Amino acid sequence: MSLLSITDLRGGYAAADEIVKDAALRVEPGEIVALIGPNGAGKSTLLKLIAGLLRPRGGQIQFKGQNIAGLGAPEISRLGLSFVPQERNVFGVMSVAENLEMGGYLDGAHARQRIAELYERFPMLADKRRAAARTLSGGQRQILAMAIALMNAPDLLLLDEPTAGLSPRAAEELFGTILALNKGGVAILMVEQNALEALSVSARAYVLVQGRAEREGRGDELASDPTVRDLFLGGKAQPMLASRGASTELGEHS
Amino acid sequence: MPILQALVNGLVVGTLLAVPAIGFTSMFAVLRFPNFAISGIATLGAFAGYLAYGAGLQMVGSLVVAFAAAAAAGLFFDKTAHLPLVKQGALPAAIASIASGLVLENVIRLGFGNDFRGYDRPIARDMYIGDIRVSPQQLETMAIALAIMLAVFAVLAFTRVGKAMRASADNPELAALKGIRPERVAAMASFIGMGLVGVGGMLLGLDSSIDPLTGARILLSIFAAAVLGGLGSAPGAVLGAFMIGMAEELSVLAVGSPYRTAVGFFAILIMLTLRPRGLLGERAF
Repeated sequence: MSLLSITDLRGGYAAADEIVKDAALRVEPGEIVALIGPNGAGKSTLLKLIAGLLRPRGGQIQFKGQNIAGLGAPEISRLGLSFVPQERNVFGVMSVAENLEMGGYLDGAHARQRIAELYERFPMLADKRRAAARTLSGGQRQILAMAIALMNAPDLLLLDEPTAGLSPRAAEELFGTILALNKGGVAILMVEQNALEALSVSARAYVLVQGRAEREGRGDELASDPTVRDLFLGGKAQPMLASRGASTELGEHS
Repeated sequence: MPILQALVNGLVVGTLLAVPAIGFTSMFAVLRFPNFAISGIATLGAFAGYLAYGAGLQMVGSLVVAFAAAAAAGLFFDKTAHLPLVKQGALPAAIASIASGLVLENVIRLGFGNDFRGYDRPIARDMYIGDIRVSPQQLETMAIALAIMLAVFAVLAFTRVGKAMRASADNPELAALKGIRPERVAAMASFIGMGLVGVGGMLLGLDSSIDPLTGARILLSIFAAAVLGGLGSAPGAVLGAFMIGMAEELSVLAVGSPYRTAVGFFAILIMLTLRPRGLLGERAF
Protein backbone atom coordinates (compact mmCIF):
# COMPACT_ATOMS: atom_id res chain seq x y z
CA MET A 1 0.00 0.00 0.00
CA SER A 2 1.30 3.46 -0.92
CA LEU A 3 1.98 5.89 1.90
CA LEU A 4 0.28 8.64 -0.08
CA SER A 5 -1.98 8.09 -3.04
CA ILE A 6 -3.76 10.89 -4.87
CA THR A 7 -6.38 10.39 -7.57
CA ASP A 8 -8.33 12.92 -9.63
CA LEU A 9 -7.53 15.74 -7.22
CA ARG A 10 -8.99 19.13 -8.07
CA GLY A 11 -8.79 22.43 -6.24
CA GLY A 12 -7.44 25.95 -5.98
CA TYR A 13 -7.68 29.16 -4.01
CA ALA A 14 -11.19 30.14 -5.13
CA ALA A 15 -14.19 28.33 -6.59
CA ALA A 16 -13.66 29.86 -10.03
CA ASP A 17 -9.92 29.29 -9.94
CA GLU A 18 -9.17 25.58 -10.35
CA ILE A 19 -5.40 25.31 -10.39
CA VAL A 20 -4.97 21.59 -9.74
CA LYS A 21 -6.92 19.53 -12.28
CA ASP A 22 -7.38 15.79 -11.86
CA ALA A 23 -3.88 15.35 -10.47
CA ALA A 24 -2.70 11.87 -9.55
CA LEU A 25 0.47 10.73 -7.81
CA ARG A 26 1.73 8.35 -5.15
CA VAL A 27 4.55 8.23 -2.64
CA GLU A 28 5.80 4.92 -1.25
CA PRO A 29 7.14 4.59 2.31
CA GLY A 30 10.71 5.87 2.65
CA GLU A 31 10.78 7.32 -0.87
CA ILE A 32 11.87 10.75 -2.13
CA VAL A 33 9.54 11.98 -4.86
CA ALA A 34 10.12 15.26 -6.69
CA LEU A 35 7.37 17.36 -8.19
CA ILE A 36 8.70 19.60 -10.93
CA GLY A 37 7.08 21.86 -13.47
CA PRO A 38 6.99 25.39 -14.84
CA ASN A 39 5.87 28.39 -12.81
CA GLY A 40 2.11 28.40 -12.37
CA ALA A 41 1.80 24.62 -12.85
CA GLY A 42 0.08 24.26 -9.47
CA LYS A 43 2.89 22.52 -7.56
CA SER A 44 2.58 24.55 -4.34
CA THR A 45 -1.22 24.47 -4.59
CA LEU A 46 -1.08 20.68 -4.79
CA LEU A 47 1.00 20.50 -1.60
CA LYS A 48 -1.41 22.86 0.19
CA LEU A 49 -4.34 20.67 -0.86
CA ILE A 50 -2.59 17.60 0.54
CA ALA A 51 -1.64 19.38 3.80
CA GLY A 52 -5.20 20.60 4.40
CA LEU A 53 -4.50 24.31 3.97
CA LEU A 54 -6.82 24.34 0.94
CA ARG A 55 -10.03 22.33 0.60
CA PRO A 56 -10.12 20.03 -2.43
CA ARG A 57 -13.11 20.33 -4.74
CA GLY A 58 -12.86 16.75 -5.89
CA GLY A 59 -10.76 13.61 -5.87
CA GLN A 60 -9.18 11.48 -3.18
CA ILE A 61 -6.10 11.82 -1.01
CA GLN A 62 -5.28 8.54 0.75
CA PHE A 63 -2.63 8.81 3.47
CA LYS A 64 -1.74 5.59 5.29
CA GLY A 65 -4.95 4.09 3.92
CA GLN A 66 -7.21 6.87 5.17
CA ASN A 67 -8.93 9.43 2.95
CA ILE A 68 -7.74 12.80 4.26
CA ALA A 69 -9.29 14.97 1.54
CA GLY A 70 -11.27 17.70 3.27
CA LEU A 71 -9.67 17.26 6.72
CA GLY A 72 -8.18 20.38 8.31
CA ALA A 73 -4.43 20.99 8.65
CA PRO A 74 -4.33 20.15 12.41
CA GLU A 75 -6.02 16.76 11.84
CA ILE A 76 -3.71 15.88 8.93
CA SER A 77 -0.65 16.90 10.92
CA ARG A 78 -1.83 14.63 13.74
CA LEU A 79 -1.80 11.66 11.32
CA GLY A 80 1.94 12.09 10.66
CA LEU A 81 2.14 14.36 7.62
CA SER A 82 4.26 17.52 7.93
CA PHE A 83 4.34 20.37 5.44
CA VAL A 84 7.16 22.91 5.21
CA PRO A 85 5.83 25.96 3.30
CA GLN A 86 8.13 27.92 1.01
CA GLU A 87 7.62 31.19 2.88
CA ARG A 88 6.67 32.09 6.44
CA ASN A 89 7.71 28.64 7.57
CA VAL A 90 8.91 29.62 11.06
CA PHE A 91 7.43 31.65 13.92
CA GLY A 92 9.57 34.76 13.44
CA VAL A 93 8.96 36.42 16.81
CA MET A 94 9.60 33.26 18.80
CA SER A 95 12.97 31.82 19.77
CA VAL A 96 14.40 28.75 18.04
CA ALA A 97 13.59 26.65 21.14
CA GLU A 98 10.00 27.92 21.20
CA ASN A 99 9.65 27.19 17.47
CA LEU A 100 10.63 23.59 18.13
CA GLU A 101 8.20 23.39 21.05
CA MET A 102 5.40 24.55 18.79
CA GLY A 103 6.50 21.94 16.23
CA GLY A 104 5.88 19.32 18.91
CA TYR A 105 2.61 20.87 20.06
CA LEU A 106 0.63 17.69 19.35
CA ASP A 107 2.97 15.44 21.33
CA GLY A 108 4.15 17.42 24.34
CA ALA A 109 5.23 14.26 26.19
CA HIS A 110 8.06 13.54 23.75
CA ALA A 111 8.89 17.14 22.85
CA ARG A 112 11.90 17.52 25.14
CA GLN A 113 13.51 14.31 23.89
CA ARG A 114 12.91 15.22 20.24
CA ILE A 115 14.33 18.70 20.74
CA ALA A 116 17.49 17.16 22.26
CA GLU A 117 17.77 14.83 19.24
CA LEU A 118 17.33 17.72 16.82
CA TYR A 119 19.95 19.80 18.65
CA GLU A 120 22.31 16.86 18.22
CA ARG A 121 21.49 16.52 14.53
CA PHE A 122 21.60 20.27 13.85
CA PRO A 123 24.12 21.83 16.29
CA MET A 124 23.42 25.26 14.78
CA LEU A 125 19.93 25.15 16.31
CA ALA A 126 21.39 24.40 19.75
CA ASP A 127 23.78 27.35 19.41
CA LYS A 128 20.92 29.65 18.38
CA ARG A 129 18.24 28.25 20.68
CA ARG A 130 17.56 31.61 22.34
CA ALA A 131 17.70 33.67 19.13
CA ALA A 132 14.46 34.90 17.53
CA ALA A 133 13.82 32.90 14.36
CA ARG A 134 13.57 36.08 12.27
CA THR A 135 17.25 36.80 12.99
CA LEU A 136 18.45 33.55 11.32
CA SER A 137 19.98 33.47 7.83
CA GLY A 138 17.97 31.96 4.96
CA GLY A 139 19.72 28.59 5.17
CA GLN A 140 19.45 28.45 8.96
CA ARG A 141 15.77 29.29 8.72
CA GLN A 142 15.16 26.42 6.28
CA ILE A 143 16.92 24.02 8.65
CA LEU A 144 14.73 25.31 11.50
CA ALA A 145 11.61 24.95 9.33
CA MET A 146 12.49 21.32 8.64
CA ALA A 147 13.32 20.69 12.30
CA ILE A 148 9.89 22.10 13.28
CA ALA A 149 8.31 19.71 10.79
CA LEU A 150 10.26 16.78 12.23
CA MET A 151 9.05 17.48 15.77
CA ASN A 152 5.87 15.44 15.27
CA ALA A 153 7.89 12.47 13.91
CA PRO A 154 6.23 12.50 10.48
CA ASP A 155 6.06 9.58 8.08
CA LEU A 156 5.83 11.99 5.17
CA LEU A 157 7.42 15.40 4.77
CA LEU A 158 6.11 17.83 2.12
CA LEU A 159 8.78 20.38 1.16
CA ASP A 160 7.83 23.43 -0.91
CA GLU A 161 10.85 24.92 -2.68
CA PRO A 162 13.26 24.25 0.21
CA THR A 163 16.24 25.85 -1.57
CA ALA A 164 14.44 28.99 -2.80
CA GLY A 165 16.54 32.06 -2.11
CA LEU A 166 19.53 30.10 -0.82
CA SER A 167 23.11 30.41 -2.08
CA PRO A 168 24.33 27.42 -4.16
CA ARG A 169 26.43 26.22 -1.23
CA ALA A 170 23.55 26.50 1.25
CA ALA A 171 21.26 24.74 -1.24
CA GLU A 172 23.76 21.89 -1.61
CA GLU A 173 23.99 21.52 2.15
CA LEU A 174 20.22 21.49 2.39
CA PHE A 175 19.92 18.71 -0.21
CA GLY A 176 22.43 16.77 1.93
CA THR A 177 20.18 17.30 4.94
CA ILE A 178 17.13 16.14 2.97
CA LEU A 179 18.94 12.95 1.95
CA ALA A 180 20.02 12.33 5.56
CA LEU A 181 16.45 12.75 6.78
CA ASN A 182 15.26 10.30 4.16
CA LYS A 183 17.87 7.74 5.23
CA GLY A 184 16.28 8.01 8.67
CA GLY A 185 13.07 6.62 7.13
CA VAL A 186 11.07 9.78 6.38
CA ALA A 187 9.38 9.81 2.97
CA ILE A 188 9.62 13.14 1.17
CA LEU A 189 7.48 14.79 -1.49
CA MET A 190 9.38 17.82 -2.70
CA VAL A 191 8.52 20.73 -4.99
CA GLU A 192 11.73 22.25 -6.28
CA GLN A 193 12.62 24.85 -8.91
CA ASN A 194 16.15 23.50 -8.97
CA ALA A 195 14.82 20.60 -11.02
CA LEU A 196 17.97 18.73 -11.99
CA GLU A 197 19.24 18.82 -8.41
CA ALA A 198 15.84 17.59 -7.19
CA LEU A 199 15.78 14.78 -9.78
CA SER A 200 19.28 13.70 -8.79
CA VAL A 201 18.22 13.02 -5.18
CA SER A 202 14.77 11.58 -5.99
CA ALA A 203 13.75 7.99 -6.56
CA ARG A 204 10.84 9.10 -8.72
CA ALA A 205 9.44 12.35 -10.01
CA TYR A 206 6.33 13.83 -11.57
CA VAL A 207 6.20 16.65 -14.08
CA LEU A 208 3.23 18.86 -13.34
CA VAL A 209 1.91 21.05 -16.16
CA GLN A 210 -1.19 23.19 -15.80
CA GLY A 211 -2.42 21.34 -12.74
CA ARG A 212 -1.97 17.81 -14.12
CA ALA A 213 0.82 15.28 -13.60
CA GLU A 214 1.95 14.95 -17.23
CA ARG A 215 4.84 12.58 -16.75
CA GLU A 216 6.12 10.18 -14.18
CA GLY A 217 9.43 8.40 -14.07
CA ARG A 218 12.63 7.62 -12.21
CA GLY A 219 14.58 10.71 -11.27
CA ASP A 220 17.56 9.83 -13.49
CA GLU A 221 15.29 8.97 -16.45
CA LEU A 222 13.49 12.30 -16.33
CA ALA A 223 16.78 14.14 -15.81
CA SER A 224 18.05 12.76 -19.13
CA ASP A 225 14.73 13.25 -20.96
CA PRO A 226 15.28 15.87 -23.72
CA THR A 227 11.85 17.49 -23.26
CA VAL A 228 12.30 17.81 -19.52
CA ARG A 229 15.81 19.17 -20.03
CA ASP A 230 14.41 21.70 -22.51
CA LEU A 231 11.73 22.66 -20.04
CA PHE A 232 13.91 23.10 -17.00
CA LEU A 233 17.34 23.86 -18.31
CA GLY A 234 16.42 26.31 -21.04
CA GLY A 235 13.10 27.42 -19.59
CA LYS A 236 11.36 26.29 -22.80
CA ALA A 237 7.93 25.37 -21.48
CA GLN A 238 6.42 25.85 -24.93
CA PRO A 239 6.91 22.37 -26.45
CA MET A 240 5.08 20.41 -23.77
CA LEU A 241 2.31 22.94 -23.40
CA ALA A 242 1.89 23.27 -27.15
CA SER A 243 1.71 19.51 -27.55
CA ARG A 244 -1.36 19.60 -25.29
CA GLY A 245 -2.88 22.30 -27.46
CA ALA A 246 -3.19 24.41 -24.34
CA SER A 247 -2.63 28.09 -23.68
CA THR A 248 0.86 29.04 -22.55
CA GLU A 249 -0.47 31.79 -20.29
CA LEU A 250 0.74 30.85 -16.83
CA GLY A 251 -1.07 31.78 -13.65
CA GLU A 252 0.61 33.57 -10.78
CA HIS A 253 0.43 30.61 -8.43
CA SER A 254 3.53 28.45 -8.38
CA MET B 1 5.53 70.68 41.27
CA PRO B 2 2.06 70.33 39.66
CA ILE B 3 3.86 68.72 36.74
CA LEU B 4 5.41 66.10 39.03
CA GLN B 5 2.01 65.43 40.61
CA ALA B 6 0.47 65.10 37.14
CA LEU B 7 3.18 62.62 36.17
CA VAL B 8 2.52 60.51 39.27
CA ASN B 9 -1.22 60.62 38.55
CA GLY B 10 -0.43 59.66 34.97
CA LEU B 11 1.61 56.70 36.21
CA VAL B 12 -1.40 55.51 38.22
CA VAL B 13 -3.81 55.96 35.29
CA GLY B 14 -1.33 54.33 32.91
CA THR B 15 -0.93 51.28 35.14
CA LEU B 16 -4.69 50.82 35.32
CA LEU B 17 -5.15 51.38 31.57
CA ALA B 18 -2.42 48.87 30.76
CA VAL B 19 -4.51 45.87 31.89
CA PRO B 20 -7.43 46.36 29.48
CA ALA B 21 -5.00 47.58 26.79
CA ILE B 22 -3.15 44.23 26.98
CA GLY B 23 -6.50 42.47 26.66
CA PHE B 24 -7.52 44.56 23.66
CA THR B 25 -4.21 44.21 21.82
CA SER B 26 -3.93 40.46 22.51
CA MET B 27 -7.36 39.93 21.00
CA PHE B 28 -6.37 42.01 17.98
CA ALA B 29 -3.18 39.94 17.52
CA VAL B 30 -5.12 36.68 17.29
CA LEU B 31 -8.59 37.67 16.01
CA ARG B 32 -7.36 40.37 13.58
CA PHE B 33 -10.05 42.98 14.22
CA PRO B 34 -10.32 45.83 16.76
CA ASN B 35 -12.91 44.62 19.26
CA PHE B 36 -14.69 47.79 20.39
CA ALA B 37 -17.13 45.76 22.50
CA ILE B 38 -14.52 46.34 25.22
CA SER B 39 -16.45 49.49 26.21
CA GLY B 40 -19.47 47.43 27.32
CA ILE B 41 -17.29 44.59 28.64
CA ALA B 42 -15.24 46.96 30.84
CA THR B 43 -18.49 48.34 32.26
CA LEU B 44 -19.79 44.82 32.83
CA GLY B 45 -16.58 43.87 34.68
CA ALA B 46 -16.81 47.01 36.81
CA PHE B 47 -20.42 46.25 37.80
CA ALA B 48 -19.81 42.51 38.36
CA GLY B 49 -16.88 43.37 40.65
CA TYR B 50 -19.00 46.04 42.36
CA LEU B 51 -21.76 43.51 43.12
CA ALA B 52 -19.28 40.89 44.34
CA TYR B 53 -17.44 43.41 46.54
CA GLY B 54 -20.75 44.68 47.90
CA ALA B 55 -21.79 41.11 48.67
CA GLY B 56 -18.77 40.78 50.95
CA LEU B 57 -16.15 39.18 48.70
CA GLN B 58 -12.54 40.29 49.21
CA MET B 59 -10.75 42.32 46.54
CA VAL B 60 -9.13 39.31 44.83
CA GLY B 61 -12.43 37.38 44.82
CA SER B 62 -14.23 40.38 43.35
CA LEU B 63 -11.59 40.70 40.63
CA VAL B 64 -12.06 37.01 39.78
CA VAL B 65 -15.82 37.63 39.46
CA ALA B 66 -15.17 40.67 37.23
CA PHE B 67 -12.82 38.58 35.07
CA ALA B 68 -15.23 35.65 34.79
CA ALA B 69 -18.30 37.76 33.95
CA ALA B 70 -16.44 39.82 31.34
CA ALA B 71 -14.70 36.77 29.83
CA ALA B 72 -17.95 34.80 29.51
CA ALA B 73 -19.89 37.72 28.00
CA GLY B 74 -17.00 38.62 25.70
CA LEU B 75 -16.66 35.06 24.45
CA PHE B 76 -20.43 34.90 23.84
CA PHE B 77 -20.47 38.11 21.77
CA ASP B 78 -17.33 37.13 19.85
CA LYS B 79 -18.68 33.65 19.01
CA THR B 80 -22.15 34.79 18.03
CA ALA B 81 -21.70 38.28 16.58
CA HIS B 82 -18.08 39.14 15.74
CA LEU B 83 -16.08 36.09 14.63
CA PRO B 84 -18.64 34.99 11.99
CA LEU B 85 -18.04 38.38 10.32
CA VAL B 86 -14.22 38.36 10.42
CA LYS B 87 -14.12 36.33 7.18
CA GLN B 88 -15.74 39.35 5.46
CA GLY B 89 -12.94 41.58 6.79
CA ALA B 90 -11.99 43.44 9.95
CA LEU B 91 -14.38 46.34 9.37
CA PRO B 92 -17.73 44.45 9.58
CA ALA B 93 -16.54 42.68 12.75
CA ALA B 94 -15.37 46.00 14.27
CA ILE B 95 -18.71 47.66 13.51
CA ALA B 96 -20.60 44.69 15.01
CA SER B 97 -18.43 44.99 18.13
CA ILE B 98 -19.44 48.66 18.53
CA ALA B 99 -23.08 47.49 18.48
CA SER B 100 -22.35 44.76 21.06
CA GLY B 101 -20.77 47.35 23.35
CA LEU B 102 -23.86 49.56 23.08
CA VAL B 103 -26.16 46.60 23.81
CA LEU B 104 -24.21 45.74 26.97
CA GLU B 105 -24.05 49.37 28.10
CA ASN B 106 -27.81 49.77 27.77
CA VAL B 107 -28.63 46.45 29.43
CA ILE B 108 -26.55 47.63 32.41
CA ARG B 109 -28.34 50.99 32.30
CA LEU B 110 -31.69 49.16 32.41
CA GLY B 111 -30.63 47.24 35.50
CA PHE B 112 -28.72 49.88 37.45
CA GLY B 113 -29.82 53.27 36.13
CA ASN B 114 -27.47 56.14 35.28
CA ASP B 115 -26.26 56.89 38.83
CA PHE B 116 -22.59 56.93 39.72
CA ARG B 117 -21.67 54.24 42.24
CA GLY B 118 -18.53 53.85 44.32
CA TYR B 119 -16.91 50.76 45.77
CA ASP B 120 -17.31 50.91 49.52
CA ARG B 121 -13.61 50.78 50.34
CA PRO B 122 -12.20 51.68 53.76
CA ILE B 123 -11.13 55.32 53.95
CA ALA B 124 -7.39 55.86 54.31
CA ARG B 125 -5.37 59.02 54.75
CA ASP B 126 -3.36 60.14 51.68
CA MET B 127 0.41 59.83 51.84
CA TYR B 128 2.79 62.63 50.93
CA ILE B 129 6.27 62.35 49.47
CA GLY B 130 7.36 65.98 49.58
CA ASP B 131 4.44 67.71 47.90
CA ILE B 132 3.42 64.66 45.90
CA ARG B 133 0.18 63.10 47.10
CA VAL B 134 -0.66 59.42 46.63
CA SER B 135 -3.51 57.50 48.23
CA PRO B 136 -2.91 54.03 49.73
CA GLN B 137 -5.89 52.82 47.71
CA GLN B 138 -4.22 53.95 44.49
CA LEU B 139 -1.05 52.12 45.51
CA GLU B 140 -3.06 48.97 46.23
CA THR B 141 -4.85 49.17 42.87
CA MET B 142 -1.54 49.78 41.08
CA ALA B 143 0.05 46.79 42.81
CA ILE B 144 -2.87 44.59 41.73
CA ALA B 145 -2.59 45.85 38.14
CA LEU B 146 1.16 45.21 38.08
CA ALA B 147 0.66 41.69 39.49
CA ILE B 148 -1.95 40.96 36.79
CA MET B 149 0.40 42.25 34.08
CA LEU B 150 3.24 40.04 35.34
CA ALA B 151 0.89 37.05 35.43
CA VAL B 152 -0.23 37.72 31.84
CA PHE B 153 3.34 37.99 30.57
CA ALA B 154 4.27 34.80 32.46
CA VAL B 155 1.34 32.98 30.81
CA LEU B 156 2.37 34.24 27.35
CA ALA B 157 6.06 33.41 27.84
CA PHE B 158 6.02 30.13 29.74
CA THR B 159 2.76 28.22 29.26
CA ARG B 160 1.68 26.00 26.38
CA VAL B 161 -1.53 28.02 25.95
CA GLY B 162 0.35 31.33 25.92
CA LYS B 163 2.92 30.11 23.43
CA ALA B 164 0.17 28.70 21.19
CA MET B 165 -1.52 32.13 21.27
CA ARG B 166 1.74 33.87 20.32
CA ALA B 167 2.40 31.32 17.56
CA SER B 168 -1.10 31.71 16.16
CA ALA B 169 -0.84 35.51 16.28
CA ASP B 170 2.51 35.45 14.46
CA ASN B 171 1.78 32.84 11.79
CA PRO B 172 -1.75 31.37 11.86
CA GLU B 173 -1.18 29.09 8.85
CA LEU B 174 1.94 27.46 10.29
CA ALA B 175 0.26 27.20 13.71
CA ALA B 176 -2.60 25.25 12.11
CA LEU B 177 -0.07 23.00 10.35
CA LYS B 178 1.47 22.22 13.73
CA GLY B 179 -1.88 21.10 15.10
CA ILE B 180 -2.83 24.30 16.93
CA ARG B 181 -6.57 24.64 16.33
CA PRO B 182 -7.30 28.22 15.23
CA GLU B 183 -10.83 28.21 16.66
CA ARG B 184 -9.56 27.15 20.11
CA VAL B 185 -6.84 29.80 20.11
CA ALA B 186 -9.41 32.40 19.04
CA ALA B 187 -11.71 31.37 21.91
CA MET B 188 -8.81 31.47 24.37
CA ALA B 189 -7.71 34.92 23.17
CA SER B 190 -11.28 36.18 23.44
CA PHE B 191 -11.79 34.73 26.93
CA ILE B 192 -8.50 36.00 28.38
CA GLY B 193 -8.59 39.33 26.53
CA MET B 194 -12.15 40.17 27.54
CA GLY B 195 -11.47 38.97 31.10
CA LEU B 196 -8.58 41.43 31.33
CA VAL B 197 -10.78 44.20 29.97
CA GLY B 198 -13.36 43.42 32.67
CA VAL B 199 -10.69 43.49 35.38
CA GLY B 200 -9.43 46.77 33.93
CA GLY B 201 -12.95 48.20 34.17
CA MET B 202 -13.10 47.26 37.83
CA LEU B 203 -9.62 48.64 38.59
CA LEU B 204 -10.50 51.96 36.97
CA GLY B 205 -13.78 51.93 38.90
CA LEU B 206 -11.90 51.38 42.15
CA ASP B 207 -9.87 54.50 41.39
CA SER B 208 -12.97 56.66 40.82
CA SER B 209 -16.59 55.51 40.44
CA ILE B 210 -18.67 53.45 38.01
CA ASP B 211 -21.72 54.07 35.84
CA PRO B 212 -22.98 52.64 32.51
CA LEU B 213 -20.51 54.88 30.64
CA THR B 214 -17.42 53.68 32.54
CA GLY B 215 -16.23 51.62 29.58
CA ALA B 216 -17.17 54.17 26.93
CA ARG B 217 -15.06 56.81 28.72
CA ILE B 218 -11.91 54.66 28.63
CA LEU B 219 -12.45 53.11 25.19
CA LEU B 220 -10.50 55.78 23.34
CA SER B 221 -7.63 55.73 25.85
CA ILE B 222 -7.33 51.93 25.59
CA PHE B 223 -7.43 52.01 21.78
CA ALA B 224 -4.89 54.84 21.69
CA ALA B 225 -2.57 52.95 24.05
CA ALA B 226 -2.71 49.87 21.81
CA VAL B 227 -2.13 51.90 18.61
CA LEU B 228 0.72 53.82 20.21
CA GLY B 229 2.52 50.66 21.32
CA GLY B 230 1.72 48.80 18.09
CA LEU B 231 -1.58 46.96 17.59
CA GLY B 232 -1.00 43.35 18.55
CA SER B 233 1.94 43.98 20.85
CA ALA B 234 1.35 43.30 24.57
CA PRO B 235 4.53 45.07 25.77
CA GLY B 236 3.63 47.89 23.38
CA ALA B 237 0.19 48.20 25.00
CA VAL B 238 1.83 48.66 28.41
CA LEU B 239 4.20 51.30 27.05
CA GLY B 240 1.33 53.02 25.22
CA ALA B 241 -0.87 52.97 28.34
CA PHE B 242 1.80 54.72 30.43
CA MET B 243 2.33 57.33 27.72
CA ILE B 244 -1.41 57.98 27.29
CA GLY B 245 -1.95 58.11 31.07
CA MET B 246 0.79 60.70 31.53
CA ALA B 247 -0.19 62.70 28.44
CA GLU B 248 -3.80 62.87 29.63
CA GLU B 249 -2.80 64.10 33.09
CA LEU B 250 -0.35 66.66 31.67
CA SER B 251 -2.99 67.88 29.21
CA VAL B 252 -5.22 68.80 32.16
CA LEU B 253 -2.52 71.24 33.29
CA ALA B 254 -2.05 72.64 29.79
CA VAL B 255 -5.56 72.90 28.34
CA GLY B 256 -7.94 71.87 31.13
CA SER B 257 -9.85 68.68 31.82
CA PRO B 258 -12.59 69.12 29.12
CA TYR B 259 -9.96 68.48 26.43
CA ARG B 260 -8.41 65.47 28.15
CA THR B 261 -10.19 62.99 25.87
CA ALA B 262 -8.66 64.68 22.82
CA VAL B 263 -5.25 63.30 23.84
CA GLY B 264 -6.18 59.82 22.62
CA PHE B 265 -7.29 61.18 19.23
CA PHE B 266 -4.07 63.15 18.83
CA ALA B 267 -1.95 60.16 19.83
CA ILE B 268 -3.67 57.94 17.25
CA LEU B 269 -3.41 60.63 14.56
CA ILE B 270 0.27 61.29 15.17
CA MET B 271 1.21 57.63 15.41
CA LEU B 272 -0.70 56.56 12.31
CA THR B 273 0.89 59.43 10.37
CA LEU B 274 4.48 58.98 11.52
CA ARG B 275 4.81 55.32 12.44
CA PRO B 276 1.73 53.21 11.64
CA ARG B 277 3.32 50.07 13.11
CA GLY B 278 3.44 51.70 16.54
CA LEU B 279 6.41 52.09 18.86
CA LEU B 280 7.17 48.39 19.28
CA GLY B 281 5.44 47.06 16.16
CA GLU B 282 2.84 44.35 16.01
CA ARG B 283 5.42 41.59 16.02
CA ALA B 284 6.44 42.07 19.62
CA PHE B 285 3.42 40.16 21.01
